[in-house]
Amino acid sequence: MFPTRALCSRSVWKGPNIVPLPIKRAKPGERVPPIKTQARSATILPNFVGLKFQIHDGKNYQNITITEDMVGHKLGEFAPTRKNFTYKQTKNK
Amino acid sequence: MVCLLPVFLNGFNFQETVLVKRSLESFFGIGPKVSQGLLAKFHIHPWAKIGSLKNATVMDLTAELSNMKIENDLRREVQDNIRRLKDMGTYRGRRHAMGLPVRGQRTRTQITTARRLNKIERGGQGRVQL
Repeated sequence: MFPTRALCSRSVWKGPNIVPLPIKRAKPGERVPPIKTQARSATILPNFVGLKFQIHDGKNYQNITITEDMVGHKLGEFAPTRKNFTYKQTKNK
Repeated sequence: MVCLLPVFLNGFNFQETVLVKRSLESFFGIGPKVSQGLLAKFHIHPWAKIGSLKNATVMDLTAELSNMKIENDLRREVQDNIRRLKDMGTYRGRRHAMGLPVRGQRTRTQITTARRLNKIERGGQGRVQL
């Protein structure tokens, strides 16, 4: 009934957030270091598949390997920024 | 109409006095909009009761419903989508698993809806035939 409804979504006309990342293709017999980045809002593009990323979570860099399912999501979705509260007993009272 | 004969629609039986629209909307995946479309497609009056339908119309409706993605097929699709998010390790999947709001709502108060609905097996076990 409304075929254009899907095309009206904001992400369609805005397009993916393409961030220039230092991506190098692995030559055979050579190991590529993971790509260290703070660009959590960068959209995962199809050419990222199989690469290793170190994504900033506000404090540390978390190792994530990109799989085919992740295309279209953002890098930050895979590096949680919040830590669950745990009670730590104080030693010196 | 002394005895109420149950009419079968897509494997579920309904009493004759129930509105067609209402009985259609009792399926998971059919709401006001879709049921309105279905009624228009088969030239059924909006206030028609199940008992007033002709046999051929009931057959047509059943055939149409069996081709649509409703009930357990739809539930499975929803659950698969949530499970995919979980297996990828996304924030959204994690929030589903924890039963917390997924889209950035506040959690200090008012999270009963999320507690009830957000889970990996969303939609429950399916409808039970009474």
